[in-house]
Amino acid sequence: MPNKILTITKREYFSRIKTKGFWISTILMPVLMVAWMVLPSLILSKSKGGLHLAVVDETGRLGEGLVAAVDDLVNHPELQVVIDLEMVSPTPDLPALYESLDQRIRDEEIDAWLALTEEGVEKNVLEYHGRSVSNILTLESLERMVSRLVRQDRLVAAGYDPEVVADLTQGVDFETIRVSDKGNEADAGWGNLALAIGLFTLLYMAIIIYGNMVMHGVLEEKSNRVVEVMVSSVTPFQLMAGKLLGIGAASLTQLSIWIGSAALITAPGLVAALSLVPADVALPQLSLVVVGHFFLLFLLGYTLYSSFYALIGAAFNNPQEAQQLASFGMVLLIAPWLVFMPILNDPDSTLAVTMSLIPFFTPLIMMLRIAVKMPPAWQIALGYVLTLGLDILMVWVCARVYRVGILMYGKRPTLREILRWARYS
Amino acid sequence: MQPTLSLRGLRKTFGKLVAVDDVSLDVNPGAVFGLLGPNGAGKTTTIRMLMDILGPDEGEVHLFGHLRTRDDLERVGYLPEERGLYRKMSVTDQLVFLAELHGLGKRESLPRIETWLDKVGLADRAKVKLEELSKGMQQKIQLVGTLLHEPDLVILDEPFSGLDPINQVLFKEVLDEYRAEGRTILFSTHVMEQAEKLCDHIALIANGRVALAGRLSELKRDFGGNSYRVRARGGLSGIGEIPGVVEATVRDDTARILLAPEATGDEILKRLVDHYAVTEFSSEEPSLEEIFVKAVHDAQ
Repeated sequence: MPNKILTITKREYFSRIKTKGFWISTILMPVLMVAWMVLPSLILSKSKGGLHLAVVDETGRLGEGLVAAVDDLVNHPELQVVIDLEMVSPTPDLPALYESLDQRIRDEEIDAWLALTEEGVEKNVLEYHGRSVSNILTLESLERMVSRLVRQDRLVAAGYDPEVVADLTQGVDFETIRVSDKGNEADAGWGNLALAIGLFTLLYMAIIIYGNMVMHGVLEEKSNRVVEVMVSSVTPFQLMAGKLLGIGAASLTQLSIWIGSAALITAPGLVAALSLVPADVALPQLSLVVVGHFFLLFLLGYTLYSSFYALIGAAFNNPQEAQQLASFGMVLLIAPWLVFMPILNDPDSTLAVTMSLIPFFTPLIMMLRIAVKMPPAWQIALGYVLTLGLDILMVWVCARVYRVGILMYGKRPTLREILRWARYS
Repeated sequence: MQPTLSLRGLRKTFGKLVAVDDVSLDVNPGAVFGLLGPNGAGKTTTIRMLMDILGPDEGEVHLFGHLRTRDDLERVGYLPEERGLYRKMSVTDQLVFLAELHGLGKRESLPRIETWLDKVGLADRAKVKLEELSKGMQQKIQLVGTLLHEPDLVILDEPFSGLDPINQVLFKEVLDEYRAEGRTILFSTHVMEQAEKLCDHIALIANGRVALAGRLSELKRDFGGNSYRVRARGGLSGIGEIPGVVEATVRDDTARILLAPEATGDEILKRLVDHYAVTEFSSEEPSLEEIFVKAVHDAQ
């Protein structure tokens, strides 16, 4: 009997592995991954195409400092701010000068201009004109730099020694150190965050893609009537188990290739050898433990959602009918996105712990927590056990509905009818 | 002799609808058994219960001399009424897969597949995907899939519905071959002429119950005593109203009449002579259709 499950598993696996689409997406994903990791830093280091800013320094004191501050931006690639500065000498007729600068913006010669005026400094408001005023990151950095210059200027005006002022107003940079059980380590900073987001997204996508594949597989068997001849030689449970296992194996194949290439791409030696990324940009590193949790959580989540999708496929006659109930599954999968930011911020908060222990959300939320900061072992264990329990319950209920549903054609069943099928002997 | 298949008191209800009610049947080895009845009589439900696709509310299915197990089903070939295969699979892959589900390894099934594809004229399509074949070709592939593992019992649910004439001939040839090999065939149909040509045993199902069952020749002989052919000069209008005549089919000056069981031929002839100028009166074998109509009539 297990032979039959194996026969079906093999068919499901190879019929999916053999498609062009499978290999295209398998290869495309690592390519996209490389692009996603490497391109931003490449753009940062190579491009001079930042904000082209004209500055009119009426005060004659602030401009010099601004030039120095903008030059210093090169040392802070993490800010992702590039400013291309052009100093414009003030003319007696300032309104006319501003008018001509506005015209240059319209002609797309410059992106923006900033006026450093005595009056503005006095009123704490400086005028900034730009084609776009929504580039928040750049505007904030610029505001911070100019504010510091203005403060320094006022201190000097109050009689302090310019050099002392420069020393006293010097800011600090954080050197982030991640504290874990293995001791302290210099943190990859944004790289680690990218890893957490990447694994979370990958898990989310894999569960949705393969869950839907199960649903469409069942719907296809039903609308083709293949199921009629199948159930004469295997039980509905064997048919469903074989399908879940086969598609699950196909997904593991794909995920292994993805994770494997991610590990390769981020391997320090390789990156350095190819000098893909500037040396000062830290890349995230995949640890075996995190990868292990990734696959376990995938299996737990895949079993949960794909058995639910198998139920939907069996209950309805076509994808249109199935959509309504399928979107219920989607809601459960999207919910973790809503708490994504707060959990990244504080992976040990009550919200994070609670969400990660609700079996529907455990796969995604626990992945996020593990990638950001390893939760206590008991929480991981409890999450796994609860989800496994729900998995077993879901497979049992879904197999019962599946058994009745696959031979019901025609009328679209109501939710109540579907639930009644689960109770048939 | 142990029957190959024995249904004992099968009953199945769907909510308030009684689909199959106390159906008992024996199908002996080597028989071609026809399960007859109008659409909705309960034929497919009966077949699904014997294939363990549906569980009966009551009753038992015995296969090959014992209570049916899942393993027994590997010795059965089943062609469902609703046919279909995996569209994206190649013909050979599909057949290997179906054979494997019946416990036949690839090494054994491949040469058989070659032979079969040759036989049905599709040898050049072995590597082609199912979806690229015509509907008629797909039906041939499905028939091959049903018989590939050389089942001892073949169950065909409405095998001729939706078949083109060429495939009908092919299906009949294949079934004849199978019968010649001494294997057992059970098929359902609502087309009586087909059953008449193919079966040696039948069961008539109406409203979920067995209305009549037995060897076709015996059933005909039993009924034959009461079916007559009448010819008369000047026509036979109104012959159906003669007492003792249950049913009459009149064409020009001849008629086929079915008598009530208690009526006898000479009695009726006397009455006919009073009304018509009878030139011919002879006993005739009834058609299955007549037997069926009467059986359903009696059952109600």
